Order: sequence, then C-alpha cells, then structure tokens
Amino acid sequence: MTDKKKENLTKVMDYLKHKDPFSKGVAFCPGCGLELLLRFIPQVIGNDIVITGTPSCSAPVLLGQNNQSWHTLSYFGTLMTGAAANATGLARYYRKAGIENTVVCFNGDGTAADIGFGNLSGAAERNEPFIYICYDNEGYMNTGIQKSGTTPYGATTTTTPLGSAHKGKNLRRMNLALKMAMHKIPYAATATLSDLDDLAKKLLKAKEAKKRGFAFLHVFTPCTTGWGYAPENTIEVCRRAVKTNYFPLWEAVNGKIRMTKTVKKPKPVSTYTELIKKFAHMSEEDLQILQDDVDYEYCMLGGLSLLEGECQLPVSSED
Amino acid sequence: MITKAQKKSQIKVITGNAAAAIAAKLARPDVVAAYPITPQTEIIEQISQFHANGEMDCELITVEGENSAMNAVMAASLAGGRVFTATSSWGLVFMYDAILAAAGARAPIVMVNVNRETPGIIAVSSGQQDMISTRDAGWIFLIAEDCQEVLDLVLQAYRLAEDYDIQVPVMVHYDGFYLSYLSEGVDVPFQEDVDQFLSVLKTQPERTKLVPGGKLGCGSHGILLGYLELRHKHVSAMERAKAKFEQIDKEYEEIFGRSYGGLVEEYRMDDADAVLVGSGSMCGTIKAVIDEKRAAGVKVGLLKLRMYRPFPSEAMIKALKGKKAIGVVDRSLCFGFKGGPIYTELKAFETKLGGSKMISFIDGIANTDITKINVATMIDTTCDLAAGKDVREVTWVSYPEAQEEGGL
Repeated sequence: MTDKKKENLTKVMDYLKHKDPFSKGVAFCPGCGLELLLRFIPQVIGNDIVITGTPSCSAPVLLGQNNQSWHTLSYFGTLMTGAAANATGLARYYRKAGIENTVVCFNGDGTAADIGFGNLSGAAERNEPFIYICYDNEGYMNTGIQKSGTTPYGATTTTTPLGSAHKGKNLRRMNLALKMAMHKIPYAATATLSDLDDLAKKLLKAKEAKKRGFAFLHVFTPCTTGWGYAPENTIEVCRRAVKTNYFPLWEAVNGKIRMTKTVKKPKPVSTYTELIKKFAHMSEEDLQILQDDVDYEYCMLGGLSLLEGECQLPVSSED
Repeated sequence: MITKAQKKSQIKVITGNAAAAIAAKLARPDVVAAYPITPQTEIIEQISQFHANGEMDCELITVEGENSAMNAVMAASLAGGRVFTATSSWGLVFMYDAILAAAGARAPIVMVNVNRETPGIIAVSSGQQDMISTRDAGWIFLIAEDCQEVLDLVLQAYRLAEDYDIQVPVMVHYDGFYLSYLSEGVDVPFQEDVDQFLSVLKTQPERTKLVPGGKLGCGSHGILLGYLELRHKHVSAMERAKAKFEQIDKEYEEIFGRSYGGLVEEYRMDDADAVLVGSGSMCGTIKAVIDEKRAAGVKVGLLKLRMYRPFPSEAMIKALKGKKAIGVVDRSLCFGFKGGPIYTELKAFETKLGGSKMISFIDGIANTDITKINVATMIDTTCDLAAGKDVREVTWVSYPEAQEEGGL
C-alpha cells in the first residue's frame, strides 16, 4: 500500500464517528455493495436515525424477522409503493411533536426509480425534511435480477434475457439523480463505494441539508450476484464506473450542479463493462450506443454545471 | 346559535363533508394528509382553510396521491401521532396496499370514506361498492346515517381506534352525493367537551411508538408463528371492538346527550313481524316510510347497521331473532352471489335467527334514489314473506328488468 493510499484510508476512517449497529455476520451475498453502504451510513451520520426500508435486497437484514433483528437502529419496514410518503409521515410527526430526528428513507432503484417514483417526486416537490437514499444496483436483484428503470442499455436481466430476437435491454437507463436535482431540492448528489470520503461528505451534507428540506443521495451499488462479476471486484467496478464517466460524481445544492470529482482522461466505457457478465454479449456497435449515452449524459451534466446562479425561492418544507 | 339547555354545542347548518372536517378539527390531529377526490374534496378543502387560518395546529401534507396519503398517516400514526385523512372510491382502492399494511401494523388511523361507486364505467355516483371492496382489510368500519352522525362517529372513531385495548384503524363511511353535499342542522360540540371525551385515551398506557434511538422496528418479516400470533391478536382486537364501541356510545351520550344504540340502531322493532336491515343515509327514508306503515297498522321495523366491521352478528341476532321476515337492503353488489353483501353475510347466521326468512334488496347504486316508493315496495315484499307468500330472493328495486330477465 502506498503512503497516499494509507492517507486516504485514514481520511475515510475519520468519518466513522459512530458504532456499526449491524451484527458482524449478516445475510448478504459475499462482496455485496449494499452491505458496505448500509453499515457505512449510521457510522457516519449516527445511530439515532430512523431508517425505513422496503421489500428488496436490504429487507432481510434491515427489517429483521418476527422479534429478531440484525441491528439496533429504529426502523420501519414498509411498502415499495409509498416509501417516501412513509418517511414524510415520520418526519412531519416528529417535527410536530418536537422530536429531534433524522429519517433515512433507504430504497433500491426499483422503489426509487420505478414503483415509488411518484411519491419520491412528490416528497421532493413538498421539500419534506428527510434524507432519501437510493442504492442503485440497476435492477430487481432480490426477486431474481429483473430489469428496472436504471438498468443500462444492453444489460441482460431475467426479463431482458439473451435470445435470437432480442439481446439484453434495448432501452436506455433513466438518470434518476438528475431528475431529483431538477426538483431544486436543498441537496441532491451521486456517490459510490470506491470514493468513500466523497460519500461520507455527502452523507453529512445531506444530514445538514435536511434541516432545510429534502436531501437525495443516489449511490451506485454494484451487485456481484446479479451482474456477474467476482465478489472481490465490487470496489473496482465502482472505480471504473467513475473513471469512464459511466457514473459521474456530482452534487447539486438547490439545483445548482457541481462536479465533486472530475475525470481528466475518461476511459472508454468498455473498460467498465468488461468486468461484468451482464454486458459480455455486447458487440462493438452495442457498446458504442452505450458509450454515446454515457457521453451525452456527461455532456448534459457538464452543461448544467456551467449555469450561473441558483434557485432563489425560499426553501422551507411545506407546513 | 348556542343551545340553551346544555350550552354544550352550537347548531350549524352544514354538509356532511363539513361535519367530517369540523370533527377532525375538534379531535386535534397531529398530522393530516390531504388529496382531493369527488365527493370527498370539501373535507380537505375545509381542513386546509382551518390550517391556513391558524385554527388547526397540525402538519398538513398535501400529498400527490391517495396511496401516499395513507402511507404518510400510517407512519405518523406508528410514530405516535393522531392522524386524519379522507378519501372516496378510486382513492380508497388506490391506497389499498397501504390500507392492508396499516391494519396489519395496527396503526390507529381515523379515515373518512365518502362512499362512491368503483366500476369500470367511471361512475361518479353513490354506492357502497368501495366500502365492500375493502371490507376484509382488517379495519373497523362505521357507517353514518346523517350529517350529525358523521360528526359524532368521527369523534367516536378516535376513541375506538386509539384505545389501548383496540389499536385498529377506523374508517367512517357515509353516502357520497347524499350526505356529502346535503346541508342539515348539526349540533357542533364545544372544543372543551371534545377534549374531555378524548382525554380518556391519555389515562391509558402509552402505545408503542417508533421514535429515533428507540431501537424499535415496525414491519419485520413476520413468518410462521410470529405472524400467526399477530394475526390472531388483530382478530381478537376486532372482536373486543364491539363491546368497546357500545361503551363509547354510552360515554358519548353522557357528555353530548346523543346515543345511537351502539353497534346497531333498532327502530320500531319491538313487535315487528317484518324488518328491513339497512345502513347509511337510506335509513332516514326507511324510518319515514315505517312511520307511515305503522300508522296503517303494519308491524314493521328497521335495524340500522352502525358498525359493519367487525360484523355485529351477536347484536343483529339478538335484535332479529324471532322476526318472521327480514329484508336486507344493500347499496352494493357481491359478485358470485345473487344477493347483496350484507344479506350474504347475515345469511351465515340464518340458523340462529329462529326461523326468520330472509330476502335481499339491491338499490341505491349509481345515484338511483332509494325513494319512499322503493322503500314501500321493500316493506310490502318483506311483509308478504312474513305472511308466508312466495317472493323473490333478490330484488333489484330500481331495475325491474333484472327480475324480467329471470336471471335472479
């Protein structure tokens, strides 16, 4: 390990001010990105959060079974359709009752981008005072790897399988984080597990921002089982997603976008896809379509980050 | 005006929706979720105005859909808050998953549902099909007859839902387009008396609350025996709700001077040979026709359902036992059965009624009025049954073609 790497590691550890509330052994797959994220959040922003979760990969560990639990956090296991509305109800009641609180609405991309997007958008529009975190593993992994709105072009899932007529998803992925930033909420950001100091900073900013209203974090969270890569490669997959601009790191305060990490010489997206089996069938042409999509998204983001000024409306959550 | 006798209320001429909104305000909820739908909208408009005027100190969440309304109040309720929301028909079924979850989580929510049809033909019209479509959700269902009872039931619903021994959500139903927009005199109680009526809840043990740092979870994966235990407790709480509601009705009378008889209201039942069983706004018309029939010497009475879930079978059996003939009036359909839903359910207790014969009337769907003529037809038919004549098992009162087609 180089000195610089050691230094970075120390920096990350410095953010872990609180204990890990999870049991040492939990029911996630080896190499699961979600587990790292889930353990990281309360260590950075505290154990006195109320976390809500839905049926998803996070559920077996987050929600516990009967009267047994894998952790010591207060949690609310709820429905995918109304996750953001549940968090709204909690945060609003705590405010009314004068109870200091940090509500973390923790959902996969199926809830955030698909079935629960309506109420996510509604909560953002009303500037509700809580933190919404989407862990994006690009599909419905818990039900056995099906396509979601954030599944990228070309990726195979069990509902976008390889066949003689169709090969993988023939649609682009939606840019959930950008959509959320366009609500001009106090804070929106992307993050991933290869850049934990960046993630930690954004978690703390989100916690601060929720005093002014809605905070949204979109965390790129690879899935070793669903995507088909070696469990030890989770962090490397994240790293390459950032270095190819497949998943750029940025933040937006009141809708004003700023890159938090700029990649000087982005690698071709194939250096990211080559690690992952779900892209393995893709031809040069297919990869070019994906590359064009990545370039276009990045270009749009770059353009938005150049805009001057920001939303001047007062930001207080509806009351 | 202030009634001089008791000085405990003001008479106001208001709609059923306004009565519901005022009752919600008097209950001092912490969190209210609001989303419009005909014919409920006036409720959330009035609450929003109370909130804007500073008369209602609650968190008002103007959600983007009914599903979120139910999810928001469910969570706020489990966190420890008193909550209110209101809906109707499509709104009720759009929140269906959350309605099931809220019941299973034993969140003591009070919600008003202004009854409206829910078929594929977009029927902006009255009917209880929305209520019937959610009857097995595990909520307590109360049904109001008039605007006064709307107000009274909403207040009683808080006592029932939040009672430590019950902790089951309560839905207060009343007929859309009839009671929702009908203005009539309503005795509006004073805040201090409502506070006194609800203060009983503060003397009970605190219910379990989801709070930061409380190391408590709601919504675990309940499986096998853990799940069975919770479901059985829910069923037991529903059973307890019957006696509890009778008791609440009595306490309500002590403070406000109005009692409805608890689970069911019996109207001129004592020596009746023929009885109509009804619910909601139709009961006013039925009572008026019964008075006329009684004046002509016909021994007929009404059994009004105030509580529909849990099904007050014991109270109904007690009231109906020994009657010669019973005609059940349903404002909804029970697909797969010829008769209406309440008729079909009461049929399950037929052997306990001491030989009473039963028939079903379907009426009042999609804004067809249950007129005095219709009620007279129902009474005459039930009296014919009481006299031993052969009558149809099921009659669509406003749609004679149903009988002509011979399907029923």
